Amino acid sequence: MSDFLTVKNLFKEYEGYRALRGVTFGLAKGDFLSLFGPNGAGKSTLLGIISTLVSPTSGQIEIKGFDLTEEPEQFKKQLGVISHHSLLYDHMTALENLVFYASLYKLKDPEKTAVELLRVVELYPRRHSRVGQFSRGMRQRLSVARALVNDPSLLLLDEPYSGLDQDAAAMLTEQLAELKSKERTVIVVTHNLDHGLNSATKVGILAAGRLVFMEARNRVDRALLEAEYLRHVQGDGEA
Amino acid sequence: MSGFWLILQKDLYAEFRRPESVIGMVFFGFLLLVILNLAIPLGSEISPETGAGILWVTITVSSILGLSRTMSRERENRCMDGLLLSPVSVEALFAAKMAVNVVLVLLAECSIIPLFFILYGDGFFTSLPMLVLVVVLANVGFAAIGTLFSAITAGTSRNEALLPLLFYPLVIPLISITVKVTSMIFQGAAVADYSSWLYVMIAYGCIFTGLGFLLLDHVVGE
Repeated sequence: MSDFLTVKNLFKEYEGYRALRGVTFGLAKGDFLSLFGPNGAGKSTLLGIISTLVSPTSGQIEIKGFDLTEEPEQFKKQLGVISHHSLLYDHMTALENLVFYASLYKLKDPEKTAVELLRVVELYPRRHSRVGQFSRGMRQRLSVARALVNDPSLLLLDEPYSGLDQDAAAMLTEQLAELKSKERTVIVVTHNLDHGLNSATKVGILAAGRLVFMEARNRVDRALLEAEYLRHVQGDGEA
Repeated sequence: MSGFWLILQKDLYAEFRRPESVIGMVFFGFLLLVILNLAIPLGSEISPETGAGILWVTITVSSILGLSRTMSRERENRCMDGLLLSPVSVEALFAAKMAVNVVLVLLAECSIIPLFFILYGDGFFTSLPMLVLVVVLANVGFAAIGTLFSAITAGTSRNEALLPLLFYPLVIPLISITVKVTSMIFQGAAVADYSSWLYVMIAYGCIFTGLGFLLLDHVVGE
C-alpha cells in the first residue's frame, strides 16, 4: 500500500532546463525513503515541490488525499521540513523560535509543545539563549524541533547532515531513528550513502531529473546500491 | 492569534529589542533636517510649499532605511521559507509586513515631525488632525510599495542599493500629492480644497496594497 503520499508524473522546468522529468512514486505511512543522487539531479527541487516552496510545471502530489494545488493549507499542515538552513531567527531565543512557529500552526498550547520539543532535542537548558549563539549542531537539533512543532505526518529532510560534525550527525541519526519508530513518513535527500541508509525502509536514486531506481531497503545491500548509483550517475550525461 | 498578529508581534518585538530601523531612520531624518536648515539664510522664512517639500524629502529618504529591513530580516537562515511552509496565508504575511513598516515609519515620524516644527517654525503648525491623516495615508502608500519591493530585492545580494532604485520612481506621484496637500494644510486651507487629493492618496494606497496581495506569492516563491 502506497496511499499516504502519491507523486504522479512530476515535471519541473527552469527556463528551458528540465530539473524533473516525470517523477512518479508512492509512499505508505511509516515509510522512510532515502533518496540519493549527485548534485543537480533534482533532489532539492523534488523536495521543494513536495514542501510547497517550489511550484511544479506539471504533475500531481497528494498527502492523505489532500492535493497540493487544491488544498495547500491542509497539505502544509501535514509537513515538517529540515534543510541545511535552520529557518530559525538568530535574534530570538530557542524557546521564542519554537513558540512562534507552534503559534503559526494554531496549536492549543504552543509554549507547552515548545518546551516538550526542547527536552526531546536536549536543548531545554539553553531555552533562553539566542539562536545566534548556538553551534551548527545545536541549530540543527533546534531545527529538528522546529520541524516537529506541528506533529507532521510527513517529514522532509534536505541534506540534513550538511556541515554537521560527527557528534551532531550521530545525534541526528538517533533522532531520525526515533522518528521512524513513531510511524512518521520521512523522505531524506542526500548524496551520502552512509547517512542515508541508516534508517531507510526504501531507497531511491534520482539522476538527471528521473527517478531511476526505487526499491525496499531490505532488498538492497550497500554494494548493489553503490553499483546502481555509479551506473546512473555515470550515465547522467547521456540522460 | 492569527498569522498576521503573530508576524506583526514578532517583528515589532525584534525592533523593540534591537531598534536598528527606527534609530537609523530618526538619525538620518534629523541629519537631513539640520543640513537643509543650514541652507536657509538666518532670519528668513520659508514658504509652506518649501516647508512641505523639506518635510517629505526627509521622511521618504529616511524611511527607506526601515523599509529594507523588514523583509531582509527574513532572509537570515531562510526564515521566509519557514513562514511559507506554515499554513499562514501570503496575504496575512504581506499585510503583517506592511503594518510593521507603517508602524516603524510612524515611530520615526513621531521624532522627525516635531523637530521639523522646531527648526522651521511653528507657523506651519495649523491643523494637527489633518496632518496626522496625511501622514498615515502617505505611510500606507510608502509601506505598500516598500514592502512589495523589499520582498523583491531581499532575494538579491545588493538589496539595499536596489530598493531605492525601484521604490522612488513609484512613490514620486504619491510624494508630489503629499507635498501639495501638506503645503495646503500649512497654509491653513479648508479641507474641501484638498479633499480630492486625499481620495487620490487613499486610492494609491489601495492599489499598491492590492498589488502586493496579488504579487507577493510570485515574488517570495521559489
